[in-house]
Amino acid sequence: MYVTGSFEYNFHVELAISELEKKDVPRDAIAAVLMDSRVEDRKIMDTIHRADGISSFDAAALLGTFCMLMGAIYGFVLTWGPIIWGLIGLLAGALLGLVGDLFISRLTSKTPIAKKPTGTAGGKAAQVFIIVECDQSQVAMVENILWDNLAQGVGKLP
Amino acid sequence: MEKKQPESIRNKRRPIGAVNPITTNFFHLRNPWVTAAWSAMFPGFGYIVMGSYIKGFLLVGWELLINTQAHINLAIMYSYLGKFDLARDVLDVRWTLLYLAVWAFSVWGSYSLTVDLNKLSILGNREDSTMIPVSISSWDINFLDKKQPWVAAVLSTLSPGLGHLYSHRVPTSFFLLTLTIGTVYLSHILEAIQYSALGAFGQATAVLDPQWFLFFPSLYGFAVYDSYVNTVEYNKLFEQEQARFLRDNYQSPRFDSRLLKARSQED
Repeated sequence: MYVTGSFEYNFHVELAISELEKKDVPRDAIAAVLMDSRVEDRKIMDTIHRADGISSFDAAALLGTFCMLMGAIYGFVLTWGPIIWGLIGLLAGALLGLVGDLFISRLTSKTPIAKKPTGTAGGKAAQVFIIVECDQSQVAMVENILWDNLAQGVGKLP
Repeated sequence: MEKKQPESIRNKRRPIGAVNPITTNFFHLRNPWVTAAWSAMFPGFGYIVMGSYIKGFLLVGWELLINTQAHINLAIMYSYLGKFDLARDVLDVRWTLLYLAVWAFSVWGSYSLTVDLNKLSILGNREDSTMIPVSISSWDINFLDKKQPWVAAVLSTLSPGLGHLYSHRVPTSFFLLTLTIGTVYLSHILEAIQYSALGAFGQATAVLDPQWFLFFPSLYGFAVYDSYVNTVEYNKLFEQEQARFLRDNYQSPRFDSRLLKARSQED
């Protein structure tokens, strides 16, 4: 029988596999399928699960920093002082960088941004499928190990 | 006679990164204009982004010395405010000319180093090199791990350097924490924040030392940006390393044949 579990890339996959091997499931009977996905929407912020390296953080950080500096300089001659104007500059610059980057990349990108292959699954976590080939008597044990190590889903094929 | 390099050497020749007790240094694709821009804002920052610490710290130390002695920040401020006479007068000509060549070098150097490291990054990925994901020594423990990028960014806004401590980029963290203490103290920022919060804007402006205060925006923006980007890239590195491990060990060609053998025994 086959028992399958889906995981994110993390320590739990390895903990599950090593526990299976400890319970005498041979290494050759465990297979890992590394899931890729074709398309993914471009996100403004990266998350722990997916980071495509094309988030709009570069322009926002640089322009935010530059405008913070300008706010701090002109704040010395404006009523609210350098601190408040520095903060205003930071927020305004970051916002401008974010909006500008999205706008420009929309104009210049030949392929639609949403069609860029990134190797992570559907905007969520990149996944690993673990397939374990085992006897009928081991099925419950294998399922428990997969669940205990935070599998997102577990299934079996008789 | 065929000559072939052993796998052990091939894997080391074009590495994707190295986990060291105090930090993980690695290659990933970067926009060279972005590292050049960080070096333009604060010479040396572009190098620190890339993990080229000795050069980065050298340039930052140089910047602090020459800028504060020549009063570059003050001259920049007066120039933007249109007070060109003041800008001219405030510059100390005994120091000023030292600034130019090294500043230009740091911008150009960051740009060209990024271009080269991008090539190394592509080669390392094509070679599919392995790396050891854990390093432990008497001084510290470091391992590839998945962390939340936004936590790193928020920690950096609370105090520059904390985000890097979270992602275990210790040299950057130590450097930013130290630089922040010096800048905050010498520029009287915290007093100015206090006055601004109470609405005493005149006092806030008066208490600030512009020469030191103008270091702060670059420092602050850099801390948030760098800690965030590193956490994102560390997560990608973790996935890359783990994928390689799983491919090497758990995609046995015998996986199917075991099943076939078992079926044939049942028949």
